[in-house]
Amino acid sequence: MIVCVAVVGHQNNPLYIQSFTEADDALKLHHIVHCSLDVVDERVNNPKKSGPTLNETFLGLLYPTENYKVYGYLTNTKVKFILVTTDLDVRDADVRNFFRRFHAAYVDAVSNPFHVPGKKITSRTFAERVSTIVKSFGLSSAG
Amino acid sequence: MGREVSESCVDSLLTEMVSSYCDRFYANKPDLAARRIEAIGFQVGLQLSERYTMERPRFSDHLEAIKFICKDFWSELFKKQIDNLKTNHRGTFVLQDNRFRWLARMSVDPSPENGDLSQDNPPAENKAAQATSMHLYFPCGIIRGALSNLGIPCAVTADISNLPACSFVVRIKA
Repeated sequence: MIVCVAVVGHQNNPLYIQSFTEADDALKLHHIVHCSLDVVDERVNNPKKSGPTLNETFLGLLYPTENYKVYGYLTNTKVKFILVTTDLDVRDADVRNFFRRFHAAYVDAVSNPFHVPGKKITSRTFAERVSTIVKSFGLSSAG
Repeated sequence: MGREVSESCVDSLLTEMVSSYCDRFYANKPDLAARRIEAIGFQVGLQLSERYTMERPRFSDHLEAIKFICKDFWSELFKKQIDNLKTNHRGTFVLQDNRFRWLARMSVDPSPENGDLSQDNPPAENKAAQATSMHLYFPCGIIRGALSNLGIPCAVTADISNLPACSFVVRIKA
């Protein structure tokens, strides 16, 4: 289950952050997202892996914690997408697919002429679309 | 599947936008009008670059980003690539389009306003150049917006010394 997703701008400014848990642990999740930003920077500045993974938008598993796995994605425009999930057995393809759809939703949201670039995304349509994507995450593998 | 936009509508919108800003909103302040038009282009470029870079790996250097503008970005906008790219390898790039679509159908109203034909030729030509250059702030803004969004702050100017070819000069800020 996905517990938190976030969009972070190129100056590490939060553009959108949403948790999907019943419990009151939003602060903890925000903290996890915050920590992951350093890992993203590290990955981008010291690309260890060579070959096809170089400069790919999908950054893979950023770091595992006891209860969560954190995945990252960095666009060409230096916008970061962060995904926090409780699933221990996650398929890479599912995560890639999630980020692709998430990215598409983001692009549509910022293409709104009333959206101010660099400001938080307040669009309700975007929020709804994201929660749909979150709900459908991993369904293909379960079914 | 990509969505399509009527080309003539875009042409008309661009012309109308320029004439609104130049003749109505900022009639006596051409500099301000130019800045506003460029700002609109900037936001459009920002959003377009976000969309068109979606399915590709990140660019590793400036040249790659400029090449993207010349090839894929220009193809999406104008259904053709930039015809000629020149650079001095020190942060200046010249992008030349031999038949820039947004200027291809441009002409200036030939009816002289004061009726004095004998002395009208040089000013009319001058006026034409001025009107044409006003229409170029928008594409300049688009290029600047796209590159800025890709992490390359720059200044873009246009050169129309040999119409209908049009050159965009990109100066990357160090």
